[in-house]
Amino acid sequence: MKNRFGVPFGAASRRTVLKSLAAGVGVAALGGGWTGAAFAEDRTLTINTNISGEGQRKLMAQFIEEFTKETGIKVQQNAMDHEGYKTAIRNFLVANPPDVCLWFSGDRMRAFVNRGLFDDMSDLWAKEGWADKVGALTTTVTVDGKQYGVPTGASFWGIWARKDYLDKYAGGKAPATWDELVAYGDKMVADGISPFAIGTKDLWPSAAWFDYLNLRINGYDFHMQLMAGEASYEDPKLDAVFDKWQELIDKKFFIPNHTSYDWQGAVPFLLQGKAGMYLMGQFLTRNIPAADLDKYTYLQFPVIDAAVPTAEEFPVDSMHIPSGAKNKDLARQFITFFYQPQRLALWVEPEGNIPTRSDVPVLKKDWLLEKGQEILKSAKSASQYYDRDTDPDMAQIGMNGFQQFMADPNSRKAVQARLEQARKRIYKKS
Amino acid sequence: MTDVLRASATPNSRPGSLWRRHREWLTPVLLLAPGLILFLLIIVIPTLQSFRLSLYEWDGIGPKTWVGLGNYTELFADPQFLTSLKNNVIWLVLFLIAPVGGLVLALLVNQKIKGIRLAKSLFFMPLVLAPVTVGVVYSWFYDPTFGMMALIFNVFGATAPAILSDPDLVTFGIVAAALWPQVAFCMVLFLAGLNNLDEDVLGAGRVDGAKGFPMFWHVVLPQLRAASFIALTVTVIGALRSFDLIAIMTQGGPYGSSSVLAYQMYEQAIFSYRMGYAAAIATVLFGVMAVFIVFYLSRVMRAEARRER
Repeated sequence: MKNRFGVPFGAASRRTVLKSLAAGVGVAALGGGWTGAAFAEDRTLTINTNISGEGQRKLMAQFIEEFTKETGIKVQQNAMDHEGYKTAIRNFLVANPPDVCLWFSGDRMRAFVNRGLFDDMSDLWAKEGWADKVGALTTTVTVDGKQYGVPTGASFWGIWARKDYLDKYAGGKAPATWDELVAYGDKMVADGISPFAIGTKDLWPSAAWFDYLNLRINGYDFHMQLMAGEASYEDPKLDAVFDKWQELIDKKFFIPNHTSYDWQGAVPFLLQGKAGMYLMGQFLTRNIPAADLDKYTYLQFPVIDAAVPTAEEFPVDSMHIPSGAKNKDLARQFITFFYQPQRLALWVEPEGNIPTRSDVPVLKKDWLLEKGQEILKSAKSASQYYDRDTDPDMAQIGMNGFQQFMADPNSRKAVQARLEQARKRIYKKS
Repeated sequence: MTDVLRASATPNSRPGSLWRRHREWLTPVLLLAPGLILFLLIIVIPTLQSFRLSLYEWDGIGPKTWVGLGNYTELFADPQFLTSLKNNVIWLVLFLIAPVGGLVLALLVNQKIKGIRLAKSLFFMPLVLAPVTVGVVYSWFYDPTFGMMALIFNVFGATAPAILSDPDLVTFGIVAAALWPQVAFCMVLFLAGLNNLDEDVLGAGRVDGAKGFPMFWHVVLPQLRAASFIALTVTVIGALRSFDLIAIMTQGGPYGSSSVLAYQMYEQAIFSYRMGYAAAIATVLFGVMAVFIVFYLSRVMRAEARRER
């Protein structure tokens, strides 16, 4: 377990890489069962990638090398910066489409599917029988019953908590309901500790609170209606969401001056014990020194209304074939090659993602991964995160509003009105 | 263009040839052409395209919808636009500290004092740093929990203000960071000016008994006019296009209160995919800048005309 989270830390990272390289040689023989390898290909397969982690970057290079060795097809990878990619993809999908590209499933994918920019891959899904392997996450790449990509890995969200405070203030018992969470936090506040670390300079961390409160109070269906622009931001149903949120703000549950910190800047509050918990994705664990990771635990976001089925946030990354790709056959060949269980197991490892296929072998025992899979299985439905589920313009305005609300709860009505105005403009409602 | 090619290909052998008859104006045209073509392609045409785009609603990939002046009507009613404009004015006014501060520093480090070279290079240092570095350093400095400012305040038993979290202070905090390299830049400009002072004029002043402040005000400063003018213009334009520090230090936050027109434009185009709206902001920013640029150009042209006389 030390290794798996040691990726950013010097010596351990080298070991991880060596190990995955060794494992890679082992799986290379498994291949995709394609026979086209015999004759040399002059065509070059192009792949545009937005990988930010070093571990996955190395894996992609390794997979490409194996693919070329096995099939004789040359591969050109255009590795781009993760943030810049979000803008670049809108240009390259139209002007100069690659054969394969990485992207995010959910609304972000749907936006391109609706414009006819992603290729229908249902044929490949049927041929490979992936629907049985991928299960519930198939919906994340499905539009009108057709699959437009493959989900490559899921992040999972929840509350990361210091075990020492949990023992001290909650008798070691994980708070399962809202009242238990508030009681637990109250005790921390009384001792001068902020229950939750958060950095809202990045805007998006505040959206996790909105998403979870709405999912727990109004449920998945209403949340998705809101994300699709079908419900109003001034809907009385949201009053309870903002009430609960404000309760935490008024009780000083969040670290002071959180707008000064980006999400990583707020991590030291948790590490130094100035804060006891952090609502964040599993990638938070990569910012905790590997040796200290055992001092933290995962808490599921507590139940607020027992009648509402639990839904969780599972942002899913995915791989697609642009409609304008020149070598769609090669792209399918590469995706089949990539989407083998053994390769996927290696692929999700560096980021601590949950594999999207049920038949992915467990490379090593890890409580985090098991936890993630357990949540994925128990969740009735999965949202993808605010800025992936709703329109990008709406997301920007919405997250700005959440930040304002968290810094100044008095602005609540003004924020709701602004969001509603934006929704009407963006979704052309009157 | 073909005429031009043919003209330059034929040597001026025959009297009364095309080249000879026209070279009076052909030579400057040919020499200016590369620069003008580049200027047209990279500056003028995109600017015009941007004006045109500001009349459409466009998300970057789909079809463009004509909205006329709709983007502008929305913009002028947008509270965020007013905040950004207000912040631009704050930047502009506070940035005028830079030429004054630069002049004072330049006079200071121009003295012949032991160790002044070291001081000079220290003042010069922020100019070497990338703006990103300046932004990061200042964000750490302002950090209300772990930052140096918080530590200093703690020594006196006070709580440091969270500058980057306070909607009223945040812009001033960023301008302070931006002034650091800008003052150094102005200092360098003035130092260059001070090196070119006319010794004869200084001597004449000394003979007339000028020293101290009158010497500076009546003899030195008039000779620094060119440097002052450049320092002022560069500072004004620098204030108006301020963007990098805002992106790094606050991302326009908290909730848009430190945004300026340039950042708002970027946010609308890159995060919200509203190209038309962003183009409308760009057009307004262009209008504001044009006022200063026209002023600058008219001054330069007048100065050149004077020199020719």
